[in-house]
Amino acid sequence: MINVEGKQISLMQFILLIHGVQMGVGILTLPREVAEKAGTDGWISIILGWIISTVCSLLIIQIMQKQPNGTILDLLSVYFGKWGGKIGAVIIALYFAFFTFVMFTREALFIQAWILPRTKFVFLIILLSIPTYLLARNNIQILGRYSVTVFFMTIWTIFLFLIPMKEGQFLNLLPVIKEGWLPIMRAVKTTIFSYLGFEIVFFLYPFLQKKQSASIGVVIANTLTMFAYLIVTIVAFTFFSPDEIAKYNEPTITILKVIEFQFIERLEVVLFSFYLFVMSTTVVPLMFMSVYSTSWIFGKEEHTKPLFWFLVISIVYVFWFPPSMNISTTLKKMVQELSIFFAYAFPVCLWIYVHIHGLFKGRVSK
Amino acid sequence: MKRRFRLFLFIPFLLLLTSCNYQVPLEDTTITFILGIDLDDDDNLIFYESSPVFNKGAKAQTETYHTKADTIRDSRKYFDSVTSGEVSGAKIQVLLLGKRILEHEDWFPILDTMYRNSNFSINTRVVVVDGKVSDVIYYEPPSNAQLVMYLKSVIDKNYKRTRTEKVTLEELHTSFYEKGLTPSLSHVKKDKKLKVIGTALLNNRGKYVDTLDLRESTLLLFIKHKKKHPISYTSITIPTKNERGIFHKDDLSFTVQNVKTKIKTSYELNKFKYDIDISMSVVILESLLTIDMKSDEKKIRRIIEERLETEYKDLLKKIQDYKIDPIGLGLYARAYQYNHYKKVEDNWGEALSEADINVSVKLDIIGMGAINDTRR
Repeated sequence: MINVEGKQISLMQFILLIHGVQMGVGILTLPREVAEKAGTDGWISIILGWIISTVCSLLIIQIMQKQPNGTILDLLSVYFGKWGGKIGAVIIALYFAFFTFVMFTREALFIQAWILPRTKFVFLIILLSIPTYLLARNNIQILGRYSVTVFFMTIWTIFLFLIPMKEGQFLNLLPVIKEGWLPIMRAVKTTIFSYLGFEIVFFLYPFLQKKQSASIGVVIANTLTMFAYLIVTIVAFTFFSPDEIAKYNEPTITILKVIEFQFIERLEVVLFSFYLFVMSTTVVPLMFMSVYSTSWIFGKEEHTKPLFWFLVISIVYVFWFPPSMNISTTLKKMVQELSIFFAYAFPVCLWIYVHIHGLFKGRVSK
Repeated sequence: MKRRFRLFLFIPFLLLLTSCNYQVPLEDTTITFILGIDLDDDDNLIFYESSPVFNKGAKAQTETYHTKADTIRDSRKYFDSVTSGEVSGAKIQVLLLGKRILEHEDWFPILDTMYRNSNFSINTRVVVVDGKVSDVIYYEPPSNAQLVMYLKSVIDKNYKRTRTEKVTLEELHTSFYEKGLTPSLSHVKKDKKLKVIGTALLNNRGKYVDTLDLRESTLLLFIKHKKKHPISYTSITIPTKNERGIFHKDDLSFTVQNVKTKIKTSYELNKFKYDIDISMSVVILESLLTIDMKSDEKKIRRIIEERLETEYKDLLKKIQDYKIDPIGLGLYARAYQYNHYKKVEDNWGEALSEADINVSVKLDIIGMGAINDTRR
């Protein structure tokens, strides 16, 4: 169905691609968002969110096993016909394009807010576009290698969060389950968004070399993400008082501001610059999915042109309408509403459909 | 496509040029190291800033200015107009607050920009000045050291020896918003010399209530910072009542090697009950008591324990009378008696003032020194 020759990804690349997409700018605001809803019990919500996202990722694998040699686009055209597939591809391309655009601008907004407050927003987008273009025009294997490199290059940053932990007040976490389960459940709605990104499995699956370990792969990817979120959130909860944490917009960065060595101050600027790599592992694969779907609609292998135009349109758009942090947050909320359908509801429905379809087919052939 | 791509490559180089506009050589900046805020006699806010001079030939090491203004940002206008360089607030090390400010409630929002603006460091030490801020900020240390270094090391040293609290902007923010804790700050005063006089206690609206002297601060910090141990050098002197002559003060000093504090929280008869167990291991450093060190170890231990217990009782009574909670006992109430705490959290000081607090001190004398006694 599709040519995977020379584009295959290993299990490690598969895991870290998913994990890379999941870990994005969300981690900067996650402790606050969770604390607003569930207080210091928010870490339970993170674990519950992990369960939900893992189940959905496993469902996606189950679906993809039906058509192991194609992406979701090929699968849709098998089940819903050529035009069904095309319509699906348009929706998916638009979804990923919107998702990418929001993440891309959000990344630039955080850079502007914390590192380069005097640089014009459109310049940041142009500067970010260049490496993004160079990466995303390649095939999925290159993206996989990039994610692996970035992961091992930046994994140490998470341990820096353990430094402020010695000043932390563990009493803040007690008692566990302060106000009952209701607020915790409410916060799960926030935390499941932070696991978004596993839906790229829809595209990654056919490229995976050892398909039998796909399920283990998604579980590991989700677990890695969960641990990263859990460390950051628990450090934030012990470090800040539960009464004050909601006052900081990006508590994750504020924690880093406190770390100071004899030879370096304002470590958050250094670390945040480093974190750009991590953010790029979110944006680049998402962008790739969007332009891949676009070129699939037109039946082309090459996706450089749609990528080029996507970036140009983004630059032109932010030139005329530079988004503010508030607009970006509204857009992010829209993406999240959409993704409830795409990443959580859609796999469940499709899984049921595919299974019922399979049952009928079985009967007919009998 | 290839050619277009090459054109693309030029853009970063062009963009790099734009950053040259904002280059700031060190000589041309005025880096504020100390920021002071005070009220004058007519209750106008006065802002002080002190910055080092990097010019080699300059006579003075620091430049200090002050102005009347509404806010920190507002004062910047004036500072910009009198200093030669661009004023930068990114490296403020010490924030001096006049005691007169703290005598009013809700002064905290003045500091808004220091938290809002990501340029500011939130590790700035916050220090209360007894008297006028101008006395301190215009003070020239006799050792010719930079005032900021001097202030910083005085506070850090005293904090290390658990004699005063060291509070950064970030910690101040925490203690301000945390309902089960009231802020406490290091307190300095300038008489002939600049000195640390103890720990200033504020109530939950930020109003100044009292200052603990160095002895009391030590006792407070023993309970508050459970993690700060072992304390390498803290001596407590215990004067006893019967003084015989000029030299026989019956004093006893020791260093505390290790402190362990256990705080138990319970709720009985509509009030909170705390059992605070403090166990210390100490080394005796000085003893003018008429006691035989070897045979009367138990007696010495008892004397010290009783002494400390009464001092703790006085300290806690003081805290309860002021309806404040510098120790953070509210955190324990929240952690272990959440439902009861939740009802009173907005009036925690009130609730704590009615609480029963029992302190017991357990001493472990691990060293007596090199001699038995100095009596004849």
